[in-house]
Amino acid sequence: MNVRIDKFLNSSAGIKTTILLSVVFFFASFAAQDIFAQKRFQKTYAASKNVRLQLTNRTGTVTVEGWDKDQIQISAYLEAPAANIVPVSLSGTILLNVVKDNQGRNEVGNVNFLVRVPYTSSVDIETRMGNLNVSNVQGTLVRAHISSEGDITLTNIAATNVSAENVIGDIFYDGDIQSNGNYRFISTKGNINLRIPFNAGFKLVATAPSTRSINLGAFSGGNMNFVGTGRRVVGQNGDGSATLTVTNQRGSISFIRR
Amino acid sequence: MNCKHCQELISVFMDNELDESSSTEVREHLAVCEPCSKVCEDLAMILDFCQLDVDEAVLPPNPQALWCRINNVIESEVKAEIFKENKEKASVAEAEAQKASTGWLPRRWNFSFMQVASAVLFIALVSSILTIIGIKNYSGAATNSDIASASAPPTLFERVLGKLGLMETPNQKRERIIKEREAAIEYWNKRVETRRAQWNANLRDAFDRNLNEINQAVSEYTQILQENPQDEISGEMLDSALNDKMELLREFSEL
Repeated sequence: MNVRIDKFLNSSAGIKTTILLSVVFFFASFAAQDIFAQKRFQKTYAASKNVRLQLTNRTGTVTVEGWDKDQIQISAYLEAPAANIVPVSLSGTILLNVVKDNQGRNEVGNVNFLVRVPYTSSVDIETRMGNLNVSNVQGTLVRAHISSEGDITLTNIAATNVSAENVIGDIFYDGDIQSNGNYRFISTKGNINLRIPFNAGFKLVATAPSTRSINLGAFSGGNMNFVGTGRRVVGQNGDGSATLTVTNQRGSISFIRR
Repeated sequence: MNCKHCQELISVFMDNELDESSSTEVREHLAVCEPCSKVCEDLAMILDFCQLDVDEAVLPPNPQALWCRINNVIESEVKAEIFKENKEKASVAEAEAQKASTGWLPRRWNFSFMQVASAVLFIALVSSILTIIGIKNYSGAATNSDIASASAPPTLFERVLGKLGLMETPNQKRERIIKEREAAIEYWNKRVETRRAQWNANLRDAFDRNLNEINQAVSEYTQILQENPQDEISGEMLDSALNDKMELLREFSEL
């Protein structure tokens, strides 16, 4: 085996081939780096406890986590061609608008955000396409809006106003229902799963007109009534102080006891 | 005689109305006093001039004709004033006579009690209808975009107003709202068409997939509403789906 390699390397054709392959591998490795390279953006802001994060992304995943620090830490992983990101801190609000910052550019790669906020913050995030995840947030507002497709996952939320909306994709909510709160979950096609406390007080209007698949789980019976030939459930749980509106045009709705 | 006393008597002296003794005193003083004699001369000249002016200019050319003209003017003015007074008196008397005969109504609007009561009732009815229409239109404007409200069954009153053409029927309302939404959708769709060539393939596919999903929902609810125009849930869902479509187009037109 070693003899054959030596013979190959000693021949002039073998040397030429080796050099050629080395050159090809050298340039190919640079090209691959360009294609798969991710730039990283990171910035930290001092923030008050009731700071508001307002983030609008083009495409990519956004993850927001509450933490026990009076700081907002923004980390972004930018796929090529890298997007411009210009965060603005404006009177208690951190604004990031990747759509506006890159308007007029033809090709912009995904931007995947990981943002850590004080757990009492308000969070308002949206993306044109991609998943949105929010966890451990107890501020006044949690809003997650996907213009087209992507999953929304909201876990350990204790906000008074919660809104989650997408076209195609699942919505999962695991959190409290605050008294006098307002909760909206709207999708065109996907599964909406809500995991809420059994003793939560809310008025419910849940509509799934196409599938008629509304699973109330532990919340069924009592004050819950199916109307419109099973396309809608209207009712009240507990003191009924909060408002819960769930609409899934072409998908299912399920309630899970927390 | 001093100058002051003399000048006081000069005018009377010139008219020859002084007694002899006073005239002699004045004459003697004038003979020795130059300023008083000057005053006397001036006064004499003025009197001469006045007598000459009266003779040539003050006398009217024809006093009889002038008096005749003045008399005519006075008579015509007096006649006009008398006519005006008579006319006013006559109109006041006529109005008082009418008031006395028909109460507060003028004579030519002489209605019976039933006619007046009917007119009042009619005005009250029309104003009530117009108020209700106004309130309905105002409250309708607040939920103007709501197709579901158009799906709600009309009340008897709304049906009557609809037949009279005073209020749009639920179907008309729904059609109007859908047309408004479609116009907005068309606008945003044009903007998307100009932008979508710049998007990458993944984005284009995702957009088409989502738009198709919403379009299916729209056609599904439209079909249900054609079969059952009073289906409130379908009306609400159609409204929501059209809104989603508009939002999708608007948000992608920014890319």
